[in-house]
Amino acid sequence: MTEKACRGAALGNEIRSGTVSKVGSTKRIQELNGMLHANRPNIDITRARAFTKVYKETEGEPALMRRYKAAAEVYRTLSDNVYDYEQLVGWPTKRIRGANFAIELHAHWLADDLPNLRTREYDPFEITDEDYEELMNVHIPYWKDKTCAAQFEKYVSPELAARSQTGGVEDINNYSCSNGSHFIPRWTDLLENGFEKYYNTAKECLEKLDQNDPKAVDKRIFYNGIMEVALAIKGWAERMSAACAKKAEAEKDPKRKAELEKMADMMKQVPWKPARSFYEAVETAWCACFFLFVEGAGPSITWGRFDQYMYPYYKKDIDEGKITPEEAMELLEELYIKVTSNVWFQSTIMAYIFGGYYRYPHLDVGGLDENGKDATNDLSYLCLRAMRYAKTTSPAVSIMLHQKTPDSLLYEACELAAEGMGHPSMFNCESLYEMLAHRAAGLEGYSNYSRKQILKYGSPIGCVEPGAEGLQYGHTDSGIVNVANCLFCAVTNGVKANGVDGGFCGELVTYESGAPETLDTFDKFYAAVKGQMEFAIKECHSALVVCEKLLAEQFNLPTFTMLLDGAIEKGIDATAGGALVNVGPTMNMVGFGTMVDSVSAIKKVVYDDKEATLAEVRDAIMANFEGYEDLQAKLKAAPKYGNDDDYVDTMAADLWEHFATVSAGLKLYRAGQYCDAAIQMVQSNVGMGAMTGATPNGRLAGTPISDTMSATQQADTHGPTAAARSYGKLDFPAYTNGTLLNMWISRSELVE
Amino acid sequence: MEKKAVIFDIGRFRNTDGPGIRTIIFFKGCPLRCKWCSNPFGLSVQPQLAVNFEKCTACGKCAQVCKNGVNKIVDGKLEVNFSKCSQCGACIVPCPAGCRKITGEEYTARELYEEARKDAAFSRRDNGGVTLSGGEILAQYEVAAEVLRLCRQNYINTCIETSAYGKWEHLEQIAQYCNIIFVDLKHIDSAKHEEITGVPNELILENIRKLADYAVEKNIQLIIRRPIIPGYNDEDEATIGAAKFIAELPGNPEINIIPFHNLGENKYDMIGEEYIPKDLTMLGKKDDIIVRVKELTEKYAPDCRVSVGGEAIDLNKG
Repeated sequence: MTEKACRGAALGNEIRSGTVSKVGSTKRIQELNGMLHANRPNIDITRARAFTKVYKETEGEPALMRRYKAAAEVYRTLSDNVYDYEQLVGWPTKRIRGANFAIELHAHWLADDLPNLRTREYDPFEITDEDYEELMNVHIPYWKDKTCAAQFEKYVSPELAARSQTGGVEDINNYSCSNGSHFIPRWTDLLENGFEKYYNTAKECLEKLDQNDPKAVDKRIFYNGIMEVALAIKGWAERMSAACAKKAEAEKDPKRKAELEKMADMMKQVPWKPARSFYEAVETAWCACFFLFVEGAGPSITWGRFDQYMYPYYKKDIDEGKITPEEAMELLEELYIKVTSNVWFQSTIMAYIFGGYYRYPHLDVGGLDENGKDATNDLSYLCLRAMRYAKTTSPAVSIMLHQKTPDSLLYEACELAAEGMGHPSMFNCESLYEMLAHRAAGLEGYSNYSRKQILKYGSPIGCVEPGAEGLQYGHTDSGIVNVANCLFCAVTNGVKANGVDGGFCGELVTYESGAPETLDTFDKFYAAVKGQMEFAIKECHSALVVCEKLLAEQFNLPTFTMLLDGAIEKGIDATAGGALVNVGPTMNMVGFGTMVDSVSAIKKVVYDDKEATLAEVRDAIMANFEGYEDLQAKLKAAPKYGNDDDYVDTMAADLWEHFATVSAGLKLYRAGQYCDAAIQMVQSNVGMGAMTGATPNGRLAGTPISDTMSATQQADTHGPTAAARSYGKLDFPAYTNGTLLNMWISRSELVE
Repeated sequence: MEKKAVIFDIGRFRNTDGPGIRTIIFFKGCPLRCKWCSNPFGLSVQPQLAVNFEKCTACGKCAQVCKNGVNKIVDGKLEVNFSKCSQCGACIVPCPAGCRKITGEEYTARELYEEARKDAAFSRRDNGGVTLSGGEILAQYEVAAEVLRLCRQNYINTCIETSAYGKWEHLEQIAQYCNIIFVDLKHIDSAKHEEITGVPNELILENIRKLADYAVEKNIQLIIRRPIIPGYNDEDEATIGAAKFIAELPGNPEINIIPFHNLGENKYDMIGEEYIPKDLTMLGKKDDIIVRVKELTEKYAPDCRVSVGGEAIDLNKG
């Protein structure tokens, strides 16, 4: 490795640990970055207060009305902090790197776990003593039995409730606790019109409402609620303008004073009215993003095709000499720093699976335009380059690749990749567009998207899930199926390992698919593997639809709804199906490589070479290979996925297809939609691995399972092209909720 | 029976020894014994046991399974008597550290072509393809020629690396299917050549002359490589002599100077051989020795392009 690469990795570690961070293209950015990293993740209870206050005041009122009133109250009570060096205005929390978290989704676990929050192993949070007392005495007691997860347990058997939350084969925690997530707002429309348009649309719809249409009963509540929330956003902007003006008054440095006056002036315009400049457009993009991160509890508020909808503002300012590319990049760097401040607040079990505070905001460049031409522009390059200076974890800067992508943009992306920070993500437009064409449409159908909509607005959400600007809503990381554990259960007749994390250790955790002594042919064993997968998918689904119903009925999201194309006109909240394409809950596979390598190892050692029986393999994995080291070595030597070897890749492709087909055949609670399969859960391979016994690929109990759709760690020994050829044998678009591949390539392969 | 070649490695996704993304096929067996050889697995044509002692945990599994008593644990350390090994492979799978392999496997030309073909999709945009290396491919020229023929027939870019130590007829059979030929000139003086490589250089020089003519005639890019090993071939007379020799060749072939590296050192341990230039340190492109060699070469072969390091070669002609 080159010296520069080592330095990059060291810097990455230092930034993550918060010990150093003053990086950026200008003094301003360096100071803001330093400010960000000087703070540890912390809890803000402003939103919790607003929710408790409103819900206590509105006992007995309609669910949607209470929800919208609470959302409006949040905007009325958001902090109005303005810090030195800032150009972008507004913060979601009183302190930097705070989480203004959703008490109505988290109270059930906080009731037990708040005392550990400051010191827990994954994702500890700071909290002041006063806030701690208030949470413990006021908010948690009020909410702990009202959360989605708490209500869910009333709908299902105790076994299902336990298995779907702590079993380690399937998991629904992310869905029940992270409502309001995975969304690309209608940015183009918002920049052109401001929130005022949504207020006016609601007002007009209310005025035109046929009062004798029975649907008017609910719609009246809906429209009044939208208007109240929109006005609360306007009020927030006015407060921010006043705060900037006040700071300007006290400012002695004339240059900074002018900046603050400009900020005060800007907040009188956006986000209520149209953006007049690139600066105002970036401000709108920033504040709308954090609005959604406060209103929603989940991850992945996404900027989508940022370089496309921002470009008209950029070009106009450049043409008129109002801004330089360097100044524009400085704004982007500040945007990156601020969005990194949005930490994800999660339950302890969720932090265990998704630890790292990262909240998956996402920004794309490149791609095609609505006529299928290359859409690259100057901003595409600038967005990638800004990340090389800001060096923040967020947003996931991404490049949408296609046959017409200019080499220069690809090289710019490789330069960023060579920094070793995990940026940028690279997406293949061909697969993305095919996924969107079949989004939520089941095995036979087509999605509601037109081709033009896909080309113009289609882009990945969050990590990798296919989405479209303003046209789609739905939580996309909903259900997790740990297929490594499914495989384990296929060998053990449904019994989970002893001594691993989670519940059901040494007990039946799925179903009895056949004792290993009875699986005397490979076909029988293979059928048991598929049976275990199908069982887990279906059981997970049966739990998810309960949550889907609860969220649609009680956990509505007015700001998301405003930012969905056509939802106001329809009078339907985002959670209840207001979008053109309503997605989720989805089914996400974890541990694919571990499962495939294990099936391959069993086929080779047990059925082809007959060097051991399946019962011996069961005994070996139950014993975590202690006393079975020779068998472990033989299993380890079997062909592995990721080496362009058809012995194993053929089974990989078949098991891949099986997961997608079972998932896509399942109907969801909201009519007309089907479950989408995905393989994109980053990080979860560690937590899920901790709940998984030793696997027949030789892996020890509790250690990480394979990551995303990538080959098992260290198993792809024939280089990246061989691995890529293995991956190329899989049908990507069958995973209509996205696929994620992580590949590590040495820096020397990317740059001279 | 179809002829097979002994291959000790197939490297995919390589970006050296030719343009673009390449699959490099290493032929086992070489008639030369260059003292600095960085690929000792390529010396003997026989399959060999290779043990990575650095990864070994001395667990003793290999000693239990070996019928010939090759492996022994002595004072908590593994000792391997390579001369007793029959290459049966029984110790490979049981090793929990995965530090053993049998290097050297037989392939037909068709099988090697299939390996090269796998990555054609990745290399078509950048002129990538297959490079045959070694060892010395001339020692197994029939299979080598057939692999190259199949690749050329299927539009896969072809390169070879050779010492040119073999019959011209054999070299010609191979060369006819090449886009690019890398040939080593290790020393211009035959006696010294023999001292440092074990063979004299008359045949090599003769073949390089013929190759240069042939390359011009067939529009093949010829690159002459000079590995520079301090104390072996870095003296001024050697450089001047080599430069003068190359300057007289037709087609002004590029002269590529390769600074000495010792990256192959631990491979000697793996097969129980001794590494000779132990006291030499790696050379950088800007070290005085290399700068001097480059200056002299440019002076005495003024019409030839002179480059230092594999990545500096102008490969656009191939």
